[in-house]
Amino acid sequence: MEQVVQSLISGIVVGSIYALVALGFVLIYKSTAVINFAQGELLMFGAYICLTLVTTLKLPFLVAFVVTLLAAALLGFLLERLFLRPMIGEPIISVIMLTIGLASLMQGFIHVTWGSDTMVFPAIFSPEPLRFAGIAISQVYVYSVLAAVICLVLFNLYFRFSSSGIAMRAVANDQQAAQAMGISISKIFAIAWAIAAIVAGIGGILIGNINGVNTSLSAFGLKVFPAVILGGLDSIPGAILGGFIIGVLEALSGIYLDPVFEGGTKEVVPFIVLVIILMIKPYGLFGTEEIEKI
Amino acid sequence: MKKILLVALSFLLLSGVSYAQQTIKIGGIFDITGATGDVGTPYAQAAREYIKYVNSHGGVNGKQIDLIDVDYAYKIPQAVSAYKEMTSKGAIAILGWGTGDTEAMAPMVAKDKIPYISASYSEHLVFDKTPYNFIAGTSYSDQARLALQWIKDTWKDKSRAPKVALLYNDTGFGRSPIQDAEDFAKKIGVEIVDKEIIGLRDLDATTQLLNMQKKNADYAINQHTLMATATIVKDAKKLGLKTKFIGLNWAFSETLIKMAGDAANGFMAPLPFALWTETNLKGVQLMHKVHKEISGNDDAQPVNYTQGFISAYLLVEALKKAGTNLTGENIKNVLETNKFDMMGLSADFAYKAEMRKPNISAKMYVIKNGKIEPLTGYLKY
Amino acid sequence: MAIKCGVFKTTYEDDEAIWQTKASKFWITVLIVSLIIFPFVFQDSKYLLHIADSVLIAIIAALGLNILTGFTGQISLGHGAFIGVGAYASGYFMNQFGLPFLSCLLIAGFITAFVGMIFGIPSLRLKGLYLAIATLAAQVILEFVFIRWRVVTGGSQGLLVAPASIGGFAFDSEFKFYFLALAFAILAILVAKNIVRMKPGRAFMAIRDRYISAEIIGVPLFQYKLLAFGISSFFAGVSGSLWAHYIGIITPEHFNVVVSIQYLSMIIIGGLGSIFGTILGTIFIVLLPEILRAISGPLSSSYPILIDIFNALREGVFGLVIIMFLIFEPDGLAHRWRMIKNYWKLWPFSY
Repeated sequence: MEQVVQSLISGIVVGSIYALVALGFVLIYKSTAVINFAQGELLMFGAYICLTLVTTLKLPFLVAFVVTLLAAALLGFLLERLFLRPMIGEPIISVIMLTIGLASLMQGFIHVTWGSDTMVFPAIFSPEPLRFAGIAISQVYVYSVLAAVICLVLFNLYFRFSSSGIAMRAVANDQQAAQAMGISISKIFAIAWAIAAIVAGIGGILIGNINGVNTSLSAFGLKVFPAVILGGLDSIPGAILGGFIIGVLEALSGIYLDPVFEGGTKEVVPFIVLVIILMIKPYGLFGTEEIEKI
Repeated sequence: MKKILLVALSFLLLSGVSYAQQTIKIGGIFDITGATGDVGTPYAQAAREYIKYVNSHGGVNGKQIDLIDVDYAYKIPQAVSAYKEMTSKGAIAILGWGTGDTEAMAPMVAKDKIPYISASYSEHLVFDKTPYNFIAGTSYSDQARLALQWIKDTWKDKSRAPKVALLYNDTGFGRSPIQDAEDFAKKIGVEIVDKEIIGLRDLDATTQLLNMQKKNADYAINQHTLMATATIVKDAKKLGLKTKFIGLNWAFSETLIKMAGDAANGFMAPLPFALWTETNLKGVQLMHKVHKEISGNDDAQPVNYTQGFISAYLLVEALKKAGTNLTGENIKNVLETNKFDMMGLSADFAYKAEMRKPNISAKMYVIKNGKIEPLTGYLKY
Repeated sequence: MAIKCGVFKTTYEDDEAIWQTKASKFWITVLIVSLIIFPFVFQDSKYLLHIADSVLIAIIAALGLNILTGFTGQISLGHGAFIGVGAYASGYFMNQFGLPFLSCLLIAGFITAFVGMIFGIPSLRLKGLYLAIATLAAQVILEFVFIRWRVVTGGSQGLLVAPASIGGFAFDSEFKFYFLALAFAILAILVAKNIVRMKPGRAFMAIRDRYISAEIIGVPLFQYKLLAFGISSFFAGVSGSLWAHYIGIITPEHFNVVVSIQYLSMIIIGGLGSIFGTILGTIFIVLLPEILRAISGPLSSSYPILIDIFNALREGVFGLVIIMFLIFEPDGLAHRWRMIKNYWKLWPFSY
């Protein structure tokens, strides 16, 4: 029983990271209609930058955290300006390919700069686990989930009440109408990418703290697809929920299916569940149905 | 445009071929940036440095060695393509790396008669089916057998057999010793209670370790490289597992201490190779000399450096003994009919044609207080 | 040779021919002859022949993907896995039942087509990106099957496959295999070209452009989408079978998501919806890593530190090249080729 709970907790923690990455992904999609295959690399970037700041420059963690977020925002701006701006108007598959190319480029860059070995964060959170009803939860996990939840609440408020948040939703809904109302599309695009990079960066810092940092972190980017599609490609609460569901699904399949299949089911099960759900709800749990007109 | 490139490429290749007359060409298929790059990089470095050293000290029988150096990033198709490129350019022997690709190319190298000295110590490579493959160390299966025997011999509880879990990854490398380990355990009365698969670069092994904990394994034998091993011992510490971990050679190195910190204490391995710090051995002294001369610094190297050094040293000695008859066939013959003094870097190498195991020898080492210390003398089974 | 400036066809046959002018017929013949002579010239370079073989095999699969994605507009991220299905099927049937190579090839093609159609069923309900992710699911699921269904596939240790042979003649060297691959590639190109020229092709394009209108004028959507998946997977299966019998040993790594992405880049860079573009794109993508390696090779023996940097860089450069293409040449190489041809056609009157 204890093992099930341990696994589930681990699943929720990983799920919170998925939720963050999925959030960024959906943000970009909602405002710019771009499918960002490079979301995982943005996560990696955040992890590596924070790691360097903490270990090489010996900055205190909180300072490094903030600086990393700024760097992530900058990266988001740059990516949008340099690579996505020229692609406005191109068919969606070209844009997808472009983000795939971006992912490769960033992977290569990270490889060159930081090498391919695993690196670890120095112990920032105390290794003493919290004891709660007889179960040990390491502090890092608690902070992770907390950080994820805070982000999600913050962004929900942002989109509801801040003017740029509302502007983004307007652009996501109907680009031309928003432009007609005087909203600057290019500014919105840039903000969308910056926020997506920030959220992914936070996810990267958190997961880097838990498990260490190496170039396989970008696999999170691929995992995010089932989460996003499950929740609905253009639904922010859907993305978050999707992230947690996928995290828990992975944990459950680790406990119950791995022993049967000799391992490796964690990667497959989310996708299988995804396909099943899609057949019932083709636009995901909360996605808006596209009503197509001729 | 493509045609121009094709022509340019072919000129490059043709020029390479003509250059071959004055040099001995060998191929090096290494993993620097791939999934096993953590152990592959020092290995490759050692091989490169030793060959440069040999070249600067007169070469082999007066000829320079041209190492065609390729990083195949642990991707089998790249290895195959690199192999074809090297043999196209006239390579007469290959220093290979990964189990998956070495086993895959065994029929190819047998047909082409190119001796293939691999960093893969898979026992699948020592028998008749793979006549041109030479493993440059004690096989994984033998390491596992030695470890299991040691577990049996040191087991104090008379009321039951020791329980052992096998942790490995789903590649040719990972699976290589598993069947042999299971068969041997059955033979000597050790109980294999669990088998878990953990990926080469996984950052999280909690689920697998929890499954293992359910079976109450006393020992866990790890067939991994450093990254997964670091994850495993760190997660084991987090979970407070009582299981003792034994790694096969690629799971064990000084770098593990750096990567896992305190969690690495207590980790053991049946290591067939000498450490950088064992300077009483002639071979280690030579390693220090070569490294200092070629790279200019004195930094301590992980045991993977020793392994790369051994492979390159073996090949050079074989080339020396082959004299002017530098064909793949003759090099194979030389390797199989001679004894090679490894100067303490590992036990001496002597391949027999029907079973090309260089030797069966390892000592148990343990990580204590952040340092590697020998635990036993030579193990036997 | 003078190129006609007008249409002077007198029979339907002439009108529908693929190569319309005497000039183009001439140059095609020259191309085919030089393709046949090519391996004799470079007989000693196993490496060049290996690249040529890889290109030819890849063209077949890329054609399949272009039919599905370029002509029918269904984005597929699972092509690598389908190629794997063909490879494993072919290997399995030859190893277990000792069937001759050509039968294994056909069986592999049909099995893959079947599997492809199964994974195409979601296209009934899913559109656009949702479908793309469903194909990604196919990729992940099939990869899992490859690794775990060890009885059939040999798992991560791989499956040993005998070389291709027809009537006792074994194509067991790069040189011999080239001709087999060339024959199949030419056959595949002709078949693909004809499919897209005929009714299925027009239906596919209608689905891609305006599927609601297509449905209204009577194109049965689901059937044609399934057909597109089936044909595309058949090509993938044939390509996979050829690959298996060429390389001799196949592991699940040969068919992972990176491969799927590579094929997507082949058809995008070559030009979606263009058979000729597929050929150009495939050659480009297969040659690119080899060229990068050829460049970094000599440089790194002079500057050894660079070896490791170059290796890491290769990935980045690959991505960069794709990005540059998409930004500066979004319609692909086929488009660029047409532009160049038109330029020369009109020269010196290019205004």
